[in-house]
Amino acid sequence: MKVAVIQFPGSNCDQDTLWALRLVGLKAEPVWHTERSLEGFQAAILPGGFSYGDYLRAGALAKFSPVMEAVRRLASGGYPVVGICNGFQVLTEAGLLPGALLANTNLHFTCKDVYLRVERTDLPHTTGYRPHQVLKMPIAHGEGRYYADAETLERLEQNRQVVFRYAPAPEEAEEGYNPNGSLHDIAGIVNEQGNVLGLMPHPERAVEGVLGSEDGLPFFVSLKQALEGIA
Amino acid sequence: MKYHITLLIELKDGILDPQGRAVEGVLQGLQFKAQNVRVGRVLEMEVEAGSEAEARATAHSIGKALANPVMEVFVVEAVKELA
Repeated sequence: MKVAVIQFPGSNCDQDTLWALRLVGLKAEPVWHTERSLEGFQAAILPGGFSYGDYLRAGALAKFSPVMEAVRRLASGGYPVVGICNGFQVLTEAGLLPGALLANTNLHFTCKDVYLRVERTDLPHTTGYRPHQVLKMPIAHGEGRYYADAETLERLEQNRQVVFRYAPAPEEAEEGYNPNGSLHDIAGIVNEQGNVLGLMPHPERAVEGVLGSEDGLPFFVSLKQALEGIA
Repeated sequence: MKYHITLLIELKDGILDPQGRAVEGVLQGLQFKAQNVRVGRVLEMEVEAGSEAEARATAHSIGKALANPVMEVFVVEAVKELA
């Protein structure tokens, strides 16, 4: 089992993601965005960063990278595909996930820890979490406001495609926890098939105590167990 | 022939545009009575085409490739033949 971490020009969380994958014992390799094949890989992660400098829109130019056809094939084959932060933006731009990520309501680039509630624990990426577990994870983005039209939002809710939702910190006020104005407090979603997942927070930046949180670790452990099931 | 194309990409009506709001606040501070300010993008380019209609069709295809239909609309604002 081998996980591809796609590197676009401007990706900057690729090494952190490789670190997190290897930390849980997965084989992981970087793959440059001009590659046309992902043969030999059973999963792909599109990491955070600023692909193509966020020019035009975040993720808008990366979707045309040659590797995206291979990512699409992996996704349609049912293999896990993950987009973290900028990777999530690329997946929505490419149409692999519904909706879009717009400028944060307050126009700030926001870099801080937030809290998330886990809404699904039956996915290859989330079996290691408890239902409704509240996680602490960092965000670092300027365009993270999840938007979709009313019909799409309703479909997402009905199909239980919302996987992570911004939530109040334990023992804190109920208000002001949504950091970017995302509709329905959406922090992460999955496609209907349940294998393509995108999230704005950074699980790879929360895998060791020294980083301030280990709540991202089960994300990668889940992925490892899912991939062992595939092999 | 060479044509100069101007393409506008704008947020759809009804989608919150925090940039537009920030600009609106500043304009009002300057005593301008400006409302509903929206910020979009202008793309200019030159294309080779056999006719103005062909250049316009190309501009339309480019708009389709670059705009995100989830939250944006595009307009081919101008197609001008270059001397």
